[in-house]
Parts: sequence; structure tokens; C-alpha cells
Amino acid sequence: MESAATLTRLVRRVFYRLVVPVVSIAAALSVSGVLIVVASGNPLEAYGAMLQGAAGSIGSLATTGVRTTPILLTGLAVAISFRAGVFNVGAEGQLYVGAAFATVVAVAPLGLPGFIHVLLALLAGFVGGALWVAIPAYLRAYRGVSEVVTTLMLNFVGIYLISYLIDPITGPIGERNASYAQSALVQETARLPVLISGTSLHAGLLLGIGLAVALQILLRYTGLGFRLRMLGGNPTAARFTGMNSSRQIVIAMLISGGIAGLAGAGEVIGLRMRLYDRFSPGYGYDGIAVALLANSSPLGVILSASFFGALRAGANAMQQATGIETSLVLIIQALTILFVIFGPLRGWVATRTTRRAGLTPGGSESAP
Amino acid sequence: MGRIGCRGNQEKAGVGSTDQQSSAPELLRMERITKRFGDLVANDEVTFEVLPGEIHALLGENGAGKSTLMKILYGLQQPDSGQINLDRRPVTIRSPHEAVSLGIGMVHQKFMLVPNLTALENVVLGVSSPRPPLLELRDPRRRLMKLAEEHELAIDPDVPVWQLSVGAQQRLEILKALYRGARLLILDEPTAVLAPVEVGQLFRVMRLLAAEGRGIVFISHKLSEVKAVSDRITVLRLGRVTGSLPTAAASPSILSSMMVGRDVSLERVSPPVQGDAPILELQDVSCLTDRRTPGLDSVSLTVRRGEIVGVAGVDGNGQRELVECIAGLRPITGGRIAIQGRPPKGALRTIGLLGLIPEDRHEQGLVGDFDVAENLVLRAYGRRPFSAFGFLRWNHIRSHAVEQIDAYDIRCPGPETKVHHLSGGNQQKVIVARETQEDPALLVAAQPTRGLDVGAVESVLNLIRGQRDRGAAVLLVSTELPELFAVSDRVVVMHAGQIMGAVPPDPTRLGEVGEMMMGHTIQVAGDGGTAA
Ligand SMILES: Nc1ncnc2c1ncn2[C@@H]1O[C@H](COP(=O)(O)OP(=O)(O)OP(=O)(O)O)[C@@H](O)[C@H]1O
Ligand SMILES: [Mg+2]
Repeated sequence: MESAATLTRLVRRVFYRLVVPVVSIAAALSVSGVLIVVASGNPLEAYGAMLQGAAGSIGSLATTGVRTTPILLTGLAVAISFRAGVFNVGAEGQLYVGAAFATVVAVAPLGLPGFIHVLLALLAGFVGGALWVAIPAYLRAYRGVSEVVTTLMLNFVGIYLISYLIDPITGPIGERNASYAQSALVQETARLPVLISGTSLHAGLLLGIGLAVALQILLRYTGLGFRLRMLGGNPTAARFTGMNSSRQIVIAMLISGGIAGLAGAGEVIGLRMRLYDRFSPGYGYDGIAVALLANSSPLGVILSASFFGALRAGANAMQQATGIETSLVLIIQALTILFVIFGPLRGWVATRTTRRAGLTPGGSESAP
Repeated sequence: MGRIGCRGNQEKAGVGSTDQQSSAPELLRMERITKRFGDLVANDEVTFEVLPGEIHALLGENGAGKSTLMKILYGLQQPDSGQINLDRRPVTIRSPHEAVSLGIGMVHQKFMLVPNLTALENVVLGVSSPRPPLLELRDPRRRLMKLAEEHELAIDPDVPVWQLSVGAQQRLEILKALYRGARLLILDEPTAVLAPVEVGQLFRVMRLLAAEGRGIVFISHKLSEVKAVSDRITVLRLGRVTGSLPTAAASPSILSSMMVGRDVSLERVSPPVQGDAPILELQDVSCLTDRRTPGLDSVSLTVRRGEIVGVAGVDGNGQRELVECIAGLRPITGGRIAIQGRPPKGALRTIGLLGLIPEDRHEQGLVGDFDVAENLVLRAYGRRPFSAFGFLRWNHIRSHAVEQIDAYDIRCPGPETKVHHLSGGNQQKVIVARETQEDPALLVAAQPTRGLDVGAVESVLNLIRGQRDRGAAVLLVSTELPELFAVSDRVVVMHAGQIMGAVPPDPTRLGEVGEMMMGHTIQVAGDGGTAA
């Protein structure tokens, strides 16, 4: 009896959390479908090809996994900052700086066992990302400067900084006399293991999933998570409990930046094996979209990042099969986010859940 | 016809038949409204009506269901069953937008204004412009000023809202509703945030509006206000109507027994004043306000173990700054503060030192999106038994919440209810429970009874007395003189950031306090606590 009630409660809770994202995705796909028709294509054919390219075979599933990995990590980075009421929109820059830090460690012939070298490289990536957000964090926490502006601006600085670092002539970590701006090759010992041989799916995906679970636990079951949620829920009330909000803001931002740095590290030592100029097609910004779609729930980010990853993975197959530009994917993504933010949908869920307010869950997911 | 306590029995005749019903023109009739939240019945077959030109007061304990009924009327919530009739025609109100188009206006206790827009801009916000693509402000300005003048609602249309006082914001909210053509105006606890003078002004405005034939629903916990301004009173208790009667026929004792089921009074009980160890000491403390104007001006004050010091004064005379300085939340620019000999910084993080009931419970006291259990451990979550090794122990947090809900009579569906769903009084009880559960040496309570019903006022004041009797030093800041005189051992009066003087809580000294509140210095043979 008791457990049956708990179960229905859980089901209902999950259901209401999924309504907004699922309906948004469906709506976005429908509207894009209309666009395809207008462009005299066949939406079913296009989506079919996309699905095939994203999940039609082991190889395509692996591609989806590869595409998901960086977005999953940047999505988690953004989500954790949103939960603490901080808007870190600088995951892109933090990803680049994290990648550079990881590269420095990963290209060095340290003669360490593989496991340790990998860990060190990842750690360096985390530190790099965290360092890159440290200045905005300080400014926000102790000087009241909006982190939206500072983190965003540092994205550009970060991207150009990496261009300089790997310049073939002047860059301190650039490969000399290479025809492209790139770093040296990552040492064998510093490479993330491949999960399915013959594909490029690497352990970065597991890192992301593990991290999502860890963050969920952090938010729900630890004192630190409680503080961060309190800060996100009502910063004034947090101050009135005597909490040192400035410190919590810094902690939240450092964690967020560090995770974005991990995303960069993962790309370098898991997939590309070198640091390239402008290697990220905007993973840091995708992270914002993914976090919004998941309503900043870490476990939700696994789902939303997979969706975005699948879109990316399926896009090429779709273009080959139907000739529709891959940029359709960007339209789908943008529409999805618009529907997520779309008020009436959220309103509907809100009224449905307050009607059963006795049953609303404890560990609240707060919208960013 | 259908006046006093009449409910039900009219469904058949009421629906759509304008001609059949007789004499009294009725504006609103809510019929057998029922609304459940989980197992909790917030409104139970409530029938409520308002006549044109009538000021109808809605009374009831915290959590009785007053706001819920009004939210249903304003389309913010949907009833589970029941019927709303406007002008004897059945209507369905699915959203505030529909309510507005039906001529219903509501002034919430938390104002719904955009701080960065001017008063005028706030008024036209959401009303379509006469010349669509352009924002046409000339006609609206004229209309607004006309409305303001006709109803004694003085307002400067070009000042950004954040610069307006609370009273002015409220006037603006009323104007906003009138501008949208409200014939029925709902005022949910409008006086809770006003100074006494402003309350008088509001009542004049309400009477003017009623004289024009508008209906007004007035919610308040203060019987004196209800007596002063309303024509009729409907009392709710535990979601049910316990009666509806003309104000002239209502006496305080009838009303409070209808509300609570017993007679409540604020009697003084044994003042055990004892000269004991000072817990809180302020010496020549000065500080600034948020706007960098002088906030406190050389305030000296001592609160001893086992005494309640009341702080009287018109809102905005430094009380807020005083409380924040003591809690270490506002830097002082001069002087010295000590709580048990220690500076206030970090006092909130020391176990059992300082309990703080802040004046604004939504903004400062609670995290609305957290549930009741989480809000009850907002300060203690990191300690045993709620945490071990950095991890929260939810079973302890839950069972603690169940105990506190019981001990403090917090009415809610359960510990997992989000606290923003609770009624105002129950939210306050959550804060009081949290801030007293560790038996702090010093309890600072700012306006702890604001928005509470008489029963809850009594229980909060009793809790505060209980803390004193246990040996706590209590600083009680309130704008309610009767309440201060009922529980304080000493009353100090603040004006313009200074302490004007101290008096014993002797009802014959009320006049002096009033004088001092206006800024007149009086030579009092007080017992300490005066400032230079
Ligand atoms: N959305 C909701 N979800 C769950 N419970 C609710 C919700 N809204 C109100 N309640 C509960 O319904 C009851 C009635 O609340 P309501 O706000 O109407 O009281 P009230 O009479 O306005 O009290 P107060 O004088 O304290 O403002 C309370 O017990 C409250 O906790
Ligand atoms: Mg209410």
C-alpha cells in the first residue's frame, strides 16, 4: 500500500518533469517538418534518415555517443550553475582553456602509467576551466558584477588565447612547422580508452554519465548541494541564515567552470588527440540549451544531451540521403528551446502539479 | 433577500434568470465553491456574495481559505466544484486575464509591479495601446491622472516604481485595477504593509469606490479595521463559512469565536522583570540604509536575559537597519555591538546564539520553492542529526518536520508541501519554529505577527513570552503598540534612526509613545535604554 503510493508518486513526478521537454521536442519536430515540406522535401524521409544515422547501427550509435559527450559535460556545467542561481554562459571559453591545460599535461612524456596520466590530464582540464571562470566568479561574488557579461566576454578571449598558444611559429604549445595550428600529439598513456573498438566512442561518455549521477546526489543529498539550491532558490533568505553567499557563488562557479574544462579535456584526450584551433563548434553554447531543456536537472541533462547528440549524428546521414542541409538540426534545436521557454506549456504543468500540491516532490527542481 | 448567512437553495433559480430574482442587485455570488489540495480542503462548499457598493470583509484564521477563495475568483486557481455568478450570470474564470475582462481587479499582498518601469508604464502594461504599433501614453496619462484625482489616490506617474513607498505602490495597484475597469475589487490584506496614517487613507479610498457602486472584498486580520470600514463580514473557518453578518451586528468576541471557536484576548501576563546579565549591547551604533542615507544614528540599547524589549516606531525609522546590524547582516559605521560579548558577525552561524525572525518572510525568511521540511532546517541542515559527514539525512529532516508541524500547529498537507503554497500565517509559523527550536540566547523578532490572525498572533506572542521565560533576551520590533505593550517588559521608541526614549509598558504611557513616534522628545523617567 505504502510503497504503491510512493511508486505512483514517483511516476507522476517523473511524468510531470518530462511533459515540457517531450512536448517541446515534438512541437519542434512538427514545425521543422512543415519547413521541410515548404522546401519540397519529405519530413518523414528526412527524420527517418536522421534516425538511421543516429541509431541505425552500432557505428551510428557510437557517433551519437561521441557527439553527446562534450554537450553532456557542458550541459552539466551550465545546469549546476543555474541551480545555484548563477548564469555561467562562458562554458565555451572554459572548455577551450580546459582543453589547453589538459593538452599541456597530455603531450608531455611523463612516463606515467596510463591510468594516472589520464587522470592528471583530466584534472588539468578541470583546473583550467575553473581558473578561467575564477575572475568572473570573484567579480560576481565580491564586486556584484554580472557574471553573464564577464563569462560571455571571456569566451572570445579564451578562443583567441588558444589560437595563440598553438600557433605553429610563436605559440608555446604549438607544433613547430606544422601546416595547421595544432599542438603536439597526445601521448599514448594519456588517451581515454575507446569503448567500442572500431569506433571513436571513448570513455568521456562514461565520465559524463558518472558526473551527472554524482551531481544529482550532490544537489539532493549533501550540505553543499543544499546550500547551492538555497542560493538558487532565494539568495536573500540564504543571506539571512548567515550563509556566506559570496563563497557559495564562487564554489558553484568553480565547479561549473571545471566541468566545462573537463569537456574540453575529454575532446582532446578522447577524440582528437591534439588541440586544434577552434575545435569546438559551440559546445559551450549547446550546453546552455541542453541545460534549459533538462530544466537544470543533472540526470535530465543525460537525456537532453543525448537528443542533441543524436540530432548532430543524424544530420550528415540526412543530408546524404535527402539533400536537406544539416543546418536543419540547428533549427530544430532552437525551436525546441523556444517551446521549452514558452509560457503556457509550463503554466499547464504548474497548475496540474499545484492541483495535486499534496503530492509535489521535496527535492525541488527550480527553473533557472 | 439572500442577505445573512444565506447559501445554497438558489442554484435552480440563479442560473441565467435575470428577471426572476428580486430587489437587491447582486454583483457577485460564489456558490458552493470547493477546492482541495491533496487531502486538505481549502474551501468547503463556500458561498459568498458581494453587492454593488458593498465593502465585504472576509475574516478567518491563517489557512482558513480566504486567499484561495479570492484566487479562484481571480482565475488564478480553478475550483473543484461550485459556480461563480457575476450579475446573476454564471461565468467561468480560467485566468486573471478573463477575470479582468469581467471587471474583477485584485491587489495581491505581494505587489505585481515592474520595479524599473514608471508608474504610468506599469498601468498601461498589458493593456493594448490605442495606436497599436506605437506606445501611446498621452491619453492613458490623462485617464490615469483623472482616476487618481477622483479617488484621492495621489501618484506621480513618471517615477520608477522602485522609488515609490509601499503605500504608493499599493495606490498604484488599485489604480491599475481601476484603469482596467474593475467593478469588483479584491484587496488581500492590504493594510498589513501600511502605516496607521496610510490605513486611514486607504479606507477613505475604499469608501469612495464603494460609493460609486463598486463591490470591494477586504481581507484583514485586524478586527478593528474590519469594524471600521466594512458593511458586512463573512467568516471562514477551516475552509467553511461559519457565518455572514452585517458589521453593525458584529462584536469582537462574536467574531473571534466564529473564527477560532473561542474568545481570544491579548492580556498581559506576569512581567517577571529581573535585572540580569546583559545579552545584547549596543553602544552608539550608527549605520547607513541601502540608499546610503543615515540609517541608525548613535543607538544605544541593552537587552538582558529574561526580558523582552519592544521597539516601537512608524515603519521605516531605522528598525530594519537595527535588526540587520544586530544580525551582522549590515555593516556598522560607528559604535559597538555585542551579543554575549561577541561581535554579531557570524552570530547566525553559531548554534543557539541568535534567533532571527525577519520582517519580510517571503524575501528574507523562506525559500519558496523548498518544502516545509527543508525550510525548517534552513539554518540547521549542516548539523547533527540532519547531516553526517556532509551528507543530509532526509529521514531525520522529515521526522523533525513532522514533529514541528505538530508542535507549532502548522497547517499544511505535509512536510513535502512547497512552502509557497502555505498560507501567510503558516509560513510565519515555519519561521518561528525554525528560529526558536535551538533555544537561542537572543531572539530578534521583526514584525513577527504581521499578517497573522488573532489566534496566531496570540500563539506567536506566547511563544515569544515562552522564550523570555526560558531565559532568552528578546528584542521585539513591531508597529503594533497594543501588542508591544502586551508582551514587552520595556518599550523603546524609534524615530529617524534614533531611540527617542524608553517607557514601561503601562497603558497610561501610550500617549507618550505616540508623541515620541512622531519625533517629539520627552523627558521620561525611563529605566535605561535612552540614547544621546
Ligand atoms: N497551491 C496550494 N497547494 C497546497 N496547499 C495550498 C495551496 N494553496 C493553499 N493551500 C493550503 O490551503 C489552505 C488555505 O490557504 P489560504 O492561503 O487560502 O489561507 P488564508 O485564509 O488566505 O490564510 P492567511 O490569512 O494566512 O493568508 C492552507 O492550509 C494552505 O496551506
Ligand atoms: Mg491569505
